[in-house]
Amino acid sequence: MIKFENVVKKYNHQRALDGINLQVHRGEFVSLVGLSGAGKSTLLKLIIREEIIDGGKIFIDDVDITKVKKSDLPYLRRKIGMVFQDIKLLPRRTAFENVAFAMEVCGHRLNKIKVEVPKILDLVGLLHKRDSFPHEMSGGEKQRVAIARALSHRPLLLLADEPTGNLDEVNAAEVIDLLMKINQLGTTVILATHAADLVNKIKKRVITMEGGKITIEQQKGKYKL
Amino acid sequence: MFDSISFLRVIKTGATNFVRNLWLSMAATMVMTITLVIFSTLFLLFVLTNYSIKTIQNTVDISVYFKIGLAEEQINNIKTEISQDPKVKEVVYVSATRAFEDFKAKHQNDQLIMQSLNELNENPLPATFHIKANNLEDYPAVAEKMQSEKYGSFVDKVNFEDNRVIIERLTKVLKFIITFGLALFAVFALIAILVIYNTITLTIYNRKEEVEIMRLVGATNWYIRGPFLIESLLYSIFSTVITGLLFIPVFTKIIPAVTNYVSPQVSLYNNSVFNYAYLLVILFGLSVVLSISSTFLAVRKYLKI
Repeated sequence: MIKFENVVKKYNHQRALDGINLQVHRGEFVSLVGLSGAGKSTLLKLIIREEIIDGGKIFIDDVDITKVKKSDLPYLRRKIGMVFQDIKLLPRRTAFENVAFAMEVCGHRLNKIKVEVPKILDLVGLLHKRDSFPHEMSGGEKQRVAIARALSHRPLLLLADEPTGNLDEVNAAEVIDLLMKINQLGTTVILATHAADLVNKIKKRVITMEGGKITIEQQKGKYKL
Repeated sequence: MFDSISFLRVIKTGATNFVRNLWLSMAATMVMTITLVIFSTLFLLFVLTNYSIKTIQNTVDISVYFKIGLAEEQINNIKTEISQDPKVKEVVYVSATRAFEDFKAKHQNDQLIMQSLNELNENPLPATFHIKANNLEDYPAVAEKMQSEKYGSFVDKVNFEDNRVIIERLTKVLKFIITFGLALFAVFALIAILVIYNTITLTIYNRKEEVEIMRLVGATNWYIRGPFLIESLLYSIFSTVITGLLFIPVFTKIIPAVTNYVSPQVSLYNNSVFNYAYLLVILFGLSVVLSISSTFLAVRKYLKI
């Protein structure tokens, strides 16, 4: 589904990614581990073209995304959901409205939104919190709303950049469970994290990065550095 | 670019932006209004002065009275010669007979004049030319030519009402209006651009989070930009409406008064209504150009999409 071919990304002449070759298949759950600065976030940002690569190629379903026109980028991004460590919910909107907002800006009709959003909130287990504002929710709940928002386009691929970074153990476990559930429902998930215990619990493919390179690849892996 | 539902949402968001920063929006609208008022005043002064000059210019002509008893043929020859002068725009010939008849028609109810006319054996009125020159500066030369040796022997009197002083003064006023007005307009247009630029920048800053999320979830660039353009379009609409309202008394009272003073016989009322709509269209176009261009500058600089 995703293929990285010898990808290079530089920030001010420093190589953040240095010749990455990687293939992720449809339906996989991939954990991307490594210390901060290893290049995990950069790799995810390249997939949604937040950043532009300095060398190599990235394919999503045989489309070279480095060649996607700027005006077509929104449509690329609608196929990919992404969640972040800092969650990025709109503070003055309820859980329902935050998810609805993502659907609104992509031109979905109101009656569709009214049907879809509760379904997605139910999927992440937060239907009872639909009218809560972000400040009325726990960190884990907020992150689950963010995941719901990322899922609102029914993406084929979900990217999670340190989604548990600001959460305690219980909340982090909730979020990881949810990601695994989503993966079981058919969505490819790439999780970037440095939380070793979580990765060990997942027992799926682990890719370890160091200094912008992939150092270890394991099919049913553990976090090791 | 948009389907209808997105278009409605863009308009709604733009209107929300306008209302959320109401004070700033009002300031932007005010500055735009001042700019438009200056422009309108300038525009109207220009049109009125120009109109006055044209009207007065039209009243200027040279009347040439020929000596009595000249043959029609001679006069026609002179007319042909004069008409060929490049300075001359037109020569209207009123023959002695015609002048006499006009005179009689004009005074037909005046017994005394009619009686005294009947006593005359011949026509006491001279044949006349009314000459218009192409340019104002040409009048003295044309008048002089009619008094020159060549025509002098046929001509009894040349009458030339010199309105040039008034016209020259008006032309000076017109020039002043153009230079001073344009400078003033340029200054305020610049201020308007800067104020709108800042207002839009602030709106962008206020909506930073929303914009970031919109981008990440795949809103199109036009969907993200749209509300800011709508916001500045609202400044244009409101300032045009306010300026339009302010200028209603000018169009219903002042302009008719001035045109009536300059040329009482022509009613310009209908004409000025047309001009009013015309002015509104110009004002709206102008304000849209100003606000949209400054918005584009702000969006380009601060809206990362």
